[in-house]
Amino acid sequence: MSAADNKKSHYINAKEISFKFDGKKYLGYKGDTIASALLRNNVRLVARSFKYHRPRGLYTCGIEEPNGIVQILNEHNEPNTRATVKQIYEGIRVNSQNRWPSLNLDVGSINNLLSPMFSAGFYYKTFMGPKGFWKKIYEPVIRRTAGLGKPPKEFRSKSVHQNHNVDIVIVGGGLSGLIAARKLIDTEYDVLLLEQDSFLGGILKNSNKIKKINNIDVNKWIKETEKLLKASKNIKIFKNSLVTSYNFTNHLIALEDKCAGKEINKDKSELTLHKIRTTHTILANGHIERFISFRNNDLPGVMLASSFEKYIHRYGVVPETSPVIFTNNSTTATLLKSLIDLGHKPAAYVDARDKDKIGKKLLDYLKKSNIPFYINSEVEGCDGSKKIKTISIRKNKNKIIKVKSSMLCVSGGINPDIHLFTQSKGLVKWDDKLVTFKPDVPFQNTITLGSVSGNYNYEKTIDEIDQKLSFLKAKNIRFNLELNDSNNFNIQELWETKHEKKSNWSKSFIDLHNDVTTKDLKQAVKEGFDRIEHLKRFTTNSMGTDQGKISSINSLGIVSKILKKKISEVGTTTYRPPYAPLSFSAIAGRNTYEFYDPQRKTPIHYWHIENKAVFEDVGQWKRPWYFKKFETESMHLAVQRESAQTRKTAGILDGSTLGKIEVKGKDALEFMNLMYTNAFTKMKPMTSRYALMLGEDGMIKDDGIVCKFNDKHFIATTTSGGAPKVLADMEEYLQTEWPHLQVFVNSITEQFSTFNISGPKSREIVSKVFTDVDFSNENFPFMTFKVFDYKDTEVRIMRASFTGELGYEIYITPNHALELWKKIFHYGKAYDLVPYGTETMHLLRAEKGYVVIGQETDGTVTPIDLNFNWMIGKKKKDFIGKRSLTRSDTSREDRKQLVGIIPLDKSEFIEEGQHVVECERLPKPIKTPVEYLGHVSSSYHSPNLNHCIAMAMLKGGNKLMGRKLFVSSTYGNKNIPVEVVSPVFIDPENKRLVS
Amino acid sequence: MILINCPYCGERDQSEFSNGGEAHVARPENSENLNDKDWGRYVFYRDNPKGIFYERWVHTHGCRKWFNAVRNTSTDEILKIYKLDENPPSKESFTNTLKTPSGEPKVGSGNFTVKK
Repeated sequence: MSAADNKKSHYINAKEISFKFDGKKYLGYKGDTIASALLRNNVRLVARSFKYHRPRGLYTCGIEEPNGIVQILNEHNEPNTRATVKQIYEGIRVNSQNRWPSLNLDVGSINNLLSPMFSAGFYYKTFMGPKGFWKKIYEPVIRRTAGLGKPPKEFRSKSVHQNHNVDIVIVGGGLSGLIAARKLIDTEYDVLLLEQDSFLGGILKNSNKIKKINNIDVNKWIKETEKLLKASKNIKIFKNSLVTSYNFTNHLIALEDKCAGKEINKDKSELTLHKIRTTHTILANGHIERFISFRNNDLPGVMLASSFEKYIHRYGVVPETSPVIFTNNSTTATLLKSLIDLGHKPAAYVDARDKDKIGKKLLDYLKKSNIPFYINSEVEGCDGSKKIKTISIRKNKNKIIKVKSSMLCVSGGINPDIHLFTQSKGLVKWDDKLVTFKPDVPFQNTITLGSVSGNYNYEKTIDEIDQKLSFLKAKNIRFNLELNDSNNFNIQELWETKHEKKSNWSKSFIDLHNDVTTKDLKQAVKEGFDRIEHLKRFTTNSMGTDQGKISSINSLGIVSKILKKKISEVGTTTYRPPYAPLSFSAIAGRNTYEFYDPQRKTPIHYWHIENKAVFEDVGQWKRPWYFKKFETESMHLAVQRESAQTRKTAGILDGSTLGKIEVKGKDALEFMNLMYTNAFTKMKPMTSRYALMLGEDGMIKDDGIVCKFNDKHFIATTTSGGAPKVLADMEEYLQTEWPHLQVFVNSITEQFSTFNISGPKSREIVSKVFTDVDFSNENFPFMTFKVFDYKDTEVRIMRASFTGELGYEIYITPNHALELWKKIFHYGKAYDLVPYGTETMHLLRAEKGYVVIGQETDGTVTPIDLNFNWMIGKKKKDFIGKRSLTRSDTSREDRKQLVGIIPLDKSEFIEEGQHVVECERLPKPIKTPVEYLGHVSSSYHSPNLNHCIAMAMLKGGNKLMGRKLFVSSTYGNKNIPVEVVSPVFIDPENKRLVS
Repeated sequence: MILINCPYCGERDQSEFSNGGEAHVARPENSENLNDKDWGRYVFYRDNPKGIFYERWVHTHGCRKWFNAVRNTSTDEILKIYKLDENPPSKESFTNTLKTPSGEPKVGSGNFTVKK
């Protein structure tokens, strides 16, 4: 009563490999999966179940496995790997999952005893309160006990993406896939053949159902076919490539495991994600066997019959020499014969069908081979603790007899693998004869061949392929099959057998992966979840990572019985990609870490690094946030120092990230008048202006300074993050609304570096750098600009201010930028010129009441809310958003308006984002809602005023000037008393600006 | 992911494009004469039918050109692509070619997988 080798298999001569499972060393053969190697070593217990922690063994031999899910320790701790798919190699270290302290002794299995609590909808019903318990207690506990593997710790993705554009994709390299491919050799089509396993052949290797093709032994035929396909110019084969999605416009995604059966090489990519566009898709992806629910149908030792057969033929291992076979169809006949041919004797053969359906041929065979067989009978259940000991058979559907065996092969019929077909929006139809859903009307250019199309008759497959490929210019080659067994399916519907015993231990499962029992289904229907999509979510049936591949049709069968409906009326749940789990690293490909998004750096970037800048991400840009004077200087101290120094002498900001858009053309003036709120017509050439851009809803979208060279040439700056959107909006209006305007817009953000020098000493510094230019107030007034030669290029200098101080903005080509920047510092040293970052910029702007788009504004703020009425060209006939400024909503007086606030106690600090209210303390308990007046949009400690200054958006704020209000805080137990003031805290008369 | 045939560049993946919503919604010329309701209709209201939809696309990561398309929103099938200055094709020219994944109702979910 143990495993044996299939002496006829070529595997026995393969190389021996040692591997570790849960720390213990085992031997397997090269080509073995973890599952087949464990079975070879008589390891039956491989996992603990998701919810009840019941002992579980290997159930299948492929991607559909619900139990055998393991963690690969030596591959960056990769969790949730299917033991039935992953091949072993020398030194692979595998651990079981979801158990503590060990697989054999698992504390979590107490859940099994408590299981009456964990019925359908348990989580929805149980963890309702008290408030706060979910986050602190329930969730952490549930997360620890329920679930799958542990996440990988540190890991860098090693996968690449590859695109294909082909004429035909064949999914599946089994019998139908290979025949279709052979018919397409050296035709005019580009063909991709995708096979999920590491070898071609499918059913030909999985069983001995087919003996010969065109009088050649199948193994030879596969080799011959592979050789022919490889030699052809138009067909490419990808093995270990699983198609995970079938999307619209014949777009398929396949994941290729390039390290199947090999240790991963850390320098090479291990996965390739193939993105495929094709004209025609041939689905030849076969079928998946389903089980039958009976008492304890999850005990280690229960296995799908076809999987048992696969282990014998594919991997040369007979998992158990005397298993019991339980079936309701004829596909198990070859398993029976294989065992007997190898000299083993099954403990019993149990068939739910009657004599007529089984057929004389099989009955005669059973009688002749002297095997205990029971027809018109069923397995009632099985017993054992960590593996099966006895199996109860209900003979002739009434008397229970017990048979000793450690394995039970079960077959409840086979389902065409319609997952991909329905993903592509094809329609399926119920087939009463096959007792399953099969593809009906394809929605795209999809052809189904072989068992996926519901054709279980191998001889007819040949005709089917001929007929379905006849519209292609395929080769007319005829293939003749020689079968090992008569080819009728003859299934009799059976979803679940009746229980004899009733105890907490005795369960009949419908979903092994998520621990859903047939009782749960019945209870859910009773509670009103009688729609299949609701039922699925309430019970979590077929929601595991195996997506109920072996059980979802069974659940439809059981539910249809309860509801007394036809299965076709119950319908299926929606099949969604991916077909099988794929790791995030495969999807991410190379777009990780520094390759996730481009990083944009200014020409001064490395100078900033040398000068201890701490960077902030603004869009894709890296901008200095603040500069540390010494290693331990805190951000607060640095910002206070930078701002005080700028107002005292001078500071400089690298503003190269500012978006710059050049607008040129005959109609540039008209265009600018339409895009911005400001009036540009009367603006003199070579002057500049602070400008606002709105959406059609009247809300502020962006701001910047517009320089007017003349009526046909403007340069507009935008916020650093807003430049692409502003340019796109300009393009959109030019193309769609005003195609008659002759204007070109162009991004010149990276063509010019920008420095912003400001402070009372800035004039003296720039005068020393550009000795030829007259910077006097008369000659170079506020909001004008000049362009002049500098070395072999041009420099544009604009007198403008970010900070409220006297200031100049210098535009220079990037190749001269660093040299000029250093030159400015050379002359600025005498004046203690300080470099400052974005935080100081915000502080200096806030002191002057200059808003920051995205900080004070949030897409619901109009220029009127910010008291920017002076910027609105009211006399202009039209500009974007103009009409919306007089909408009933935007002209309300109680809209949130911009105000300044300062704490009454100057030592207190107001936090950004806090609420502004009228009451000092919140009432306890709160009976009626406390009126909320607005929020603090920005707040800083001003080094120049030596107290906190803040801006806030308050309802009807203009009317609240001078009022005492309160701001909530995260520290202390009361609100902070504040006064509403003008948002301009420094130099309200603009004396410094125009000095 | 669908394929879109840019009238300037040819067939490209959807990821290169951005959708611009309903097409043929002209910006009112004399907005000052419109009442709030009519102006609001232009600013805030767009159609979202199941079936034939005239919409705008822009080849953002390509030629940056805007163009129009007629799409069957229940299947994502693009029935026609035409430039901004071309006349829109009539709705009737498509009705016969329309198919839905499952012949499902005109409104509601497209998650029907079983043929009725």
